[in-house]
Amino acid sequence: MALIETASLSKYYGSVKALDGLDLQVEPGIIGLVGANGAGKSTLLKILLGLLTPTSGRASVLGMDSVTDTRAIRQVVGYMPEHDCLPPDVGATEFVTHMARISGLPRTAARERTAEVLRHVGLYEERYRQIGGYSTGMKQRVKLAQALVHDPKLLLLDEPTNGLDPTGRDEMLDLIKRTGTDFGITVVVASHLLGEIEQVCTYLLAIDAGRLLQAAPISTFTQRTPVLAVEVEEGADRLAAALTARGARAQQNGARVLIALDNEVLYDSVRDVVADLALPLVRIQQERGRLEDLFRDAAPTGAIQ
Amino acid sequence: MTTHVAPVAAAAPSVNPGPVAAPAIYLAHAARWYGNVVAVNDVSFSLGAGVTGLLGPNGAGKTTLLHMLAGFLAPSAGTVLVLGRSPHRDPSVYRQIGLVPEREAVYPFLTGLEYVKFNARLQGMRDPDRAARAAIARVGLDDAMDRQIGGYSKGMRQRVKVAGSLVHDPQVLLLDEPFNGMDPRQRIAMMDLLGELAVAGRTILFSSHILEEVERVGTEILVMVAGRLAASGDFRAIRALMTDRPHNITVRSSDDRRLATTLMADPAVFAVELTQAGLSVQTAQLGAFRRLIAGASKAAGVRLFEVVSADESLESVFDYLVHR
Repeated sequence: MALIETASLSKYYGSVKALDGLDLQVEPGIIGLVGANGAGKSTLLKILLGLLTPTSGRASVLGMDSVTDTRAIRQVVGYMPEHDCLPPDVGATEFVTHMARISGLPRTAARERTAEVLRHVGLYEERYRQIGGYSTGMKQRVKLAQALVHDPKLLLLDEPTNGLDPTGRDEMLDLIKRTGTDFGITVVVASHLLGEIEQVCTYLLAIDAGRLLQAAPISTFTQRTPVLAVEVEEGADRLAAALTARGARAQQNGARVLIALDNEVLYDSVRDVVADLALPLVRIQQERGRLEDLFRDAAPTGAIQ
Repeated sequence: MTTHVAPVAAAAPSVNPGPVAAPAIYLAHAARWYGNVVAVNDVSFSLGAGVTGLLGPNGAGKTTLLHMLAGFLAPSAGTVLVLGRSPHRDPSVYRQIGLVPEREAVYPFLTGLEYVKFNARLQGMRDPDRAARAAIARVGLDDAMDRQIGGYSKGMRQRVKVAGSLVHDPQVLLLDEPFNGMDPRQRIAMMDLLGELAVAGRTILFSSHILEEVERVGTEILVMVAGRLAASGDFRAIRALMTDRPHNITVRSSDDRRLATTLMADPAVFAVELTQAGLSVQTAQLGAFRRLIAGASKAAGVRLFEVVSADESLESVFDYLVHR
């Protein structure tokens, strides 16, 4: 059974089609959800949470219908909203315990689970201080903790690294990865940062104009390509010429030479030419595809090709 | 110029002012404090044409620095000059400055065109309508310019702010987290736009937390840590000056163990480790290693599959500057 399944799911706001016949099936993993602004990501998340009713079609989470089984779905789904939604005048412990109680946990269990998830997200002594005085990174951790406290099977994260500085981002990404693997739960990460998705996710869902555009493992987009990039501090022109003379298909691009990797012997040609010309070698690396290529050179604005 | 914090900062290259008389942006011992809180502390640098990334952890003083440059704040001490003049309370300097603030300071009841036109009139443009339409076209908002900003997505609001800051074609452009809320395509377009403006001779300073993107736009950076300037200049040059940090290079070959033996024999290499990902080589002399590796592999009869620097990226440089 798919964790999330939608069939011809549509949602219209007046004449605006936020979702337009979306069909998708999500299998367990860490899933990156991308799409242009206004592509329908937030609408999809809200329907899955039972906060919005679809105009037509249906959506289900763990086999439960998003319209009729809303309460049952909330038992198994954790949600981390994008916007700042925390009460400033309580401590993290108090707030997360409260959220656990709302999810139906008994008082003792709520307390224990809260202590556990706050440790998991890396909040220690600060947990008793008022949230209003927290840094952005700490607030994001509290938002993640409250999404995890009732032991959900599915976690929906909306722009979890928003506003974080580089260190905070790395820590949050690491936390998301650990949450997915250690707890063995499926995590859906909605983000605009493709580098981030490449880093933590195993699967990509791309939607545009309310329709599904791409659904495939991340590795299919970031595969090695049959191009070898060789970068030198100087003499890229001489390197390209010497390689061409040896019969390689080489092309200079700034400080780099791109070589069509027809056979393994090419590696030896590169090594020998660089050694013979005594060039300072910066890098030899097979080129990889990038998620960004999905969003490059497509003509119409707002569309992913 | 950046004479503080630690040896690296002291050695960091000051930005080259070039042959031009007055640099577009010039700070000498500039400081700004709010009561007892010191937001910016003894910062000196100058910038000419081109694009520079302003980096630093949250609370490092980036926004305060941009606000001093935009003329919102007077420095508590030191000098802040934009195009040779103090921008504080001097509208004639504002004519040459475009600012994209971090906050969503846009009027929801105006249409995109009205908002940008309003900015054009504020800057005393002769033909506000034409200037506004041109600026809107630059950021690709033509289709939405007659709609109210209140109905815009975050990325659109961000772009209309950029259009508003560009409408008077300023010489100096200051942007605080301009990519925030933009989707992948909008980000790419904005990076390209900043690049074009830099080529056209404008001075652009933008803050960002997304280091991959900063690296894509340019190599010049300013790094602030706790109110001070930790380093400025080309991040690759800054990395080269970190002599206390050995360079780490990952090498994959047909016979790692054999190559390790050969490499270890050279004085440029001081540590080699066999790892799952290949050979992890440490050297203090990057230049010598770069001239060594191909010849050493050839001599050892080892096929070289991959040579990658593990800590030359902007991300590593930033990490070294912030956590030391």
